[in-house]
Amino acid sequence: MSLNAILCQIRTVALALIVCAVLRTNQAGAGDKAVYSGPACAASVDEFFVNEVWPKVGAQTCLECHKSGGDAEESDFILTDPQRIQGDARDKVLRQNRDAFAEMARSKEGDQSRLLLKVVGKLKHGGKQVVKPESAAYRVLAEFVSRLSAKPSVEAIARAMAAADKNAAPFFEGVVMLDDRKLRRRVTLSLAGRLPTDAELAAMTSRGRQALPALLDAVMKEDAFYDRLREGFNDIFLTIGYDDVPETALSYEHFSKTRGWAEKAELKEIADPKERQKAKYKLANDYRKAMLGEPMKLIEHIVRNDRPFTEIVTADYIMVTPYTARGYGIYDELKEKFQNPEDPFEYIPVKLKALVARTRDDDQESATGFYPHAGLLSTFQYLRRYPTTETNRNRLRARMYFQQFLGIDVLELAARVSDAAAVTAKYPIPTMQASECVVCHKTIDPVAGLFQDYWKFEGVYGRRKGGWFKDMFPAGYEGEALPADQRWRSLQWLGERTAKDARFAVAMVEHVYYILTGRKVLQPSKDLDDPLFAARHRAYQEQRRQVEAIATDFARTGFNLKTVFKAWIASEFYRADGWASASADPKRRAELDDVGLVRMLAPEQVERKVLAVFGKPWGKLTEQMAMLYGGIDSKEVTERAADPSGAMGAIQRILANDVACRQTGLDFSRDPKDRVLFRGIEPDVAPGTTPEADAKIRRTIAHLHERVLGRYDAVDSPEVDRTYQLFAGVVADAAAHKGVGSEENYSCRQGMLHPVPDPKYTVRAWRAVVTYLLRRPEFLYE
Amino acid sequence: MRRDFLKLCGMVGLTLACPGGVRSLLAASTREDPPYEGPYYVVFNASGGWDTTYLMDPKGVGEINRLYQEGDILTKGQHKFAPTAKQVHAGGMSNEEFFGEFGQELLVLNGLDYSVNNHSPGARYMATGKLDSMAYPTFAALVAACKGPKCPLSFLTFGNYSATGNVVAMSRVPYLPSLQKIANADAIEGNKRSPYHDDFALDRIEQALQEGNASSAPQPRLPRQERAENMLYAAQVNSKSLQRITPYIPATIPKERLAQQAEIALASFKAGVCVSANLSIGQFDSHANNDVDQMKLIPEFLAGIAYLLRRAEELKIREKLVVVIQSEMGRTPNYNKGNGKDHWSIGSIMFMGPGIRGDRVIGATDEKQFQVPLDPQTLNQDKEKGIRVRPEHIHSALRQLAGITDHSLSKKFPLGIPAKEELHSLWGA
Repeated sequence: MSLNAILCQIRTVALALIVCAVLRTNQAGAGDKAVYSGPACAASVDEFFVNEVWPKVGAQTCLECHKSGGDAEESDFILTDPQRIQGDARDKVLRQNRDAFAEMARSKEGDQSRLLLKVVGKLKHGGKQVVKPESAAYRVLAEFVSRLSAKPSVEAIARAMAAADKNAAPFFEGVVMLDDRKLRRRVTLSLAGRLPTDAELAAMTSRGRQALPALLDAVMKEDAFYDRLREGFNDIFLTIGYDDVPETALSYEHFSKTRGWAEKAELKEIADPKERQKAKYKLANDYRKAMLGEPMKLIEHIVRNDRPFTEIVTADYIMVTPYTARGYGIYDELKEKFQNPEDPFEYIPVKLKALVARTRDDDQESATGFYPHAGLLSTFQYLRRYPTTETNRNRLRARMYFQQFLGIDVLELAARVSDAAAVTAKYPIPTMQASECVVCHKTIDPVAGLFQDYWKFEGVYGRRKGGWFKDMFPAGYEGEALPADQRWRSLQWLGERTAKDARFAVAMVEHVYYILTGRKVLQPSKDLDDPLFAARHRAYQEQRRQVEAIATDFARTGFNLKTVFKAWIASEFYRADGWASASADPKRRAELDDVGLVRMLAPEQVERKVLAVFGKPWGKLTEQMAMLYGGIDSKEVTERAADPSGAMGAIQRILANDVACRQTGLDFSRDPKDRVLFRGIEPDVAPGTTPEADAKIRRTIAHLHERVLGRYDAVDSPEVDRTYQLFAGVVADAAAHKGVGSEENYSCRQGMLHPVPDPKYTVRAWRAVVTYLLRRPEFLYE
Repeated sequence: MRRDFLKLCGMVGLTLACPGGVRSLLAASTREDPPYEGPYYVVFNASGGWDTTYLMDPKGVGEINRLYQEGDILTKGQHKFAPTAKQVHAGGMSNEEFFGEFGQELLVLNGLDYSVNNHSPGARYMATGKLDSMAYPTFAALVAACKGPKCPLSFLTFGNYSATGNVVAMSRVPYLPSLQKIANADAIEGNKRSPYHDDFALDRIEQALQEGNASSAPQPRLPRQERAENMLYAAQVNSKSLQRITPYIPATIPKERLAQQAEIALASFKAGVCVSANLSIGQFDSHANNDVDQMKLIPEFLAGIAYLLRRAEELKIREKLVVVIQSEMGRTPNYNKGNGKDHWSIGSIMFMGPGIRGDRVIGATDEKQFQVPLDPQTLNQDKEKGIRVRPEHIHSALRQLAGITDHSLSKKFPLGIPAKEELHSLWGA
């Protein structure tokens, strides 16, 4: 969006300048006119600024201090971060930044540009030397200065136009998109953990991609979608990963009499002691699971009911179940509102009253009498997941807030200082006085201060004795101080501002991308010496444009998160599936390096896919095995493995062997009309016996390819042929081996509806085929 | 077939996409590779920030330490260390025991400038040698990719910063019994006498997968597709060698955190399926009650290191172990109001193993725990012309020690140190 707009401008301006230049040439003969040196320069400099100066130096180095609120905010050289802005406004900011650079570059000290002198510390500069004289960053700035002083020429303008045209080549040129059938399968498997229905198949066949929005609308009403949604957002917020037993999210100070209700339940109505104990365990487990589930159920509630997604920071309610309501001590007043008061997992929205403390010291201040809910921010589970200490002072919470709700990793690229220890020792309060520290703490500490009433580690809510720290920047948000009368609702105050911050929408769009692809959006390349910098930067810019376009639409349509899922799925980034003709050009390869979904399925996704394809999950990718397969525990391990290790390769082998073992014979034991794998064939059909037999085998293989792999291979395709050779080869090998039994092995016979003889070894050969397919990337990846 | 496969890989520029290059793919196309025989690399992380003045950089002056005075500092060979024998109450190993047993092999570098005061960037910087990039692999991942891309558990990690830079897959094996479960993937319940498939059928499956992988190589694919398909195929094929681990899985599981990690790493080393391991324990972030916490954790940490070394001796691989002992930051030279110590950007690092001459201490901090610059040529302290030794200097030296400086993967992740700043003769061998 922004880059295209700028390139567009370049072309337009350059075209106009050719005309200007021609006019000037004609006029020159009429008299000595001053050489026009305005916009012509700007056109070529703009391109250079956007692609070189800003990403390589401005954004990485200068912006850190030379911005409003930055350490050099009182200097004349003030920049604005375009990442926080979208659309035309962003282009405007880039132009302003470019003008600021140009002014500094034109300003001279002697015969040298002040810009070049400042960055190497030769003129008074608060940041001293920020760029080394021989570095790539310096060379970029020197080139910028040089271009500013160069007189325009028709050739230069032509070069700029040519460059602009070259850059304007479509990013996805040559990239093959998923066809409608595959897209439909990807969507239903990814979002609902199932294969597409016949009706969906028909709709997509007749209407193509036009049928996609309706398909997505339907999918996003299914319970399975909300299971996936909660799972995906937990990967981001990790709220099920707080320490201690789940009911301790309710503090002893405020819920001492109610939070342990499940332990106290006697269940006298169950006579058998063993059964009673079993029931008590179940009761406690259900209570704990319901308690852990509350934050993500809030997200489900918002999305399911098409509520603005800003409610994740503004909702004035939480979600409770009949079981967790007992923990809060509000069950009696709520029980009429539950459809089934015995259902541990029926969640309804509830507004809590202000907390009353056991000792009354920590009674909650509230002007309304209610707990000041602020979506996830004020849930006890979120606050427990990111606890604080006397020295951390809520900074972890502030850091997580910026990362999770605004998409800003404040520690991503910590500034290097010449001697951090000396800085720490030099100032009484380095975080407020040392410029190296102030840069971040001026942003983080005010938000940390907004969490000040949620101070007690165990109790979550509770004010710090002696008041909030004075040696920190006071509570506020992006330069705006928290008014004293808003303190009791400080997180609501924060939530209201968050919802209006353009970065919120962008962060949520990035979260959905993460859920759909399993990886984070691209970050701008920092390696100025990388010969592929331009290619990587373009990849980043293209993806950024998509993110911003979706974010703009998301905000415009009232923050309905479903629109974000729909937009990403419709985008080329999601649908990219191949390359028409692979290029060996490293630049083009770098541009497309991250393109294509190509996601290794997480343990939960593998289980759902096995369920979708075979009708029953494998059931073994849980707990330790799930961790070994790259899963997370939301506590210590919080990022899923993206690539398979040898250990994971072994698990894939086990899975393929075991699922094929359980499902192949079982499917043959079913009535043919009930089969999912082998509908048109029986074990007595052997390869190479008749053309009809081979045709049946090939049709079965094609069906398996479609069902297991999502491939739509013709029966005479090389892929089907390879699988046929596997099947026929195994049968032939078995015939050549002496002592091969006439039935499946013991383990693989278990669960069959009736015995399935295997005198020709065809059942086991089909099992080999299923094993082979389950190890293929088409099954294990999406 | 292998020649064809190589040809196909070359046709699509696979070396660009495959982390291990064509050779790893070729190897992956075979049944089982020979075991990796070392050296093995272990990085111990004291996660949260250790107090080096209670270990290898003792002070005892200026209120830096409350548990001992300058005159109490002990020596063993060239090493000076804080006395902790009287402080070890909850088990673990005292400094006296540690330096007594391993001092002759130990190289200490004091006065390392971690450069930052925050956990996340500090951990990243110490693990990769690069502060301003999220894309760099840890040293453990890089050396695994360079030396054993075919090993099924080439890079093991038990925590701390573990980015791989997409050069090798990361393996998490949190529990010893997990190894047993996956060691014999083609046998029912891991029982080798009960295979899922007859041998001829399994051979056919492997052949079909190999042909499938080879046939897709010449097809135009997006870079991500190429990488994923190649890594998946290699992971499955290479996983076969996991069966070699079984004899080395101990019958009993130790209780201690680091000992558990060490057993998994050692079994994997001994079986030749692993190059490097990242071992880690946390909770060193002693903002409150520094002395209590550090005196619980440092002995536990040292005991874990000793456990690894002793068990490696029993397994006869001790002489192949390169051990790096580090943390992401130090602690301040003063106590805060909660008797804790906050973050400090100066600290130390220790090494031992083949190619490293022990009983040496390089670099220093002054009496206020500031770094004393070092002459990179002589390794002597030089306050005037010396350099500030930072993680990239350490990583450059580690790459040299491992012999991977000129490996193409190392070159993909340059450390940007001028030649004159390289720490010459750091290893002393």
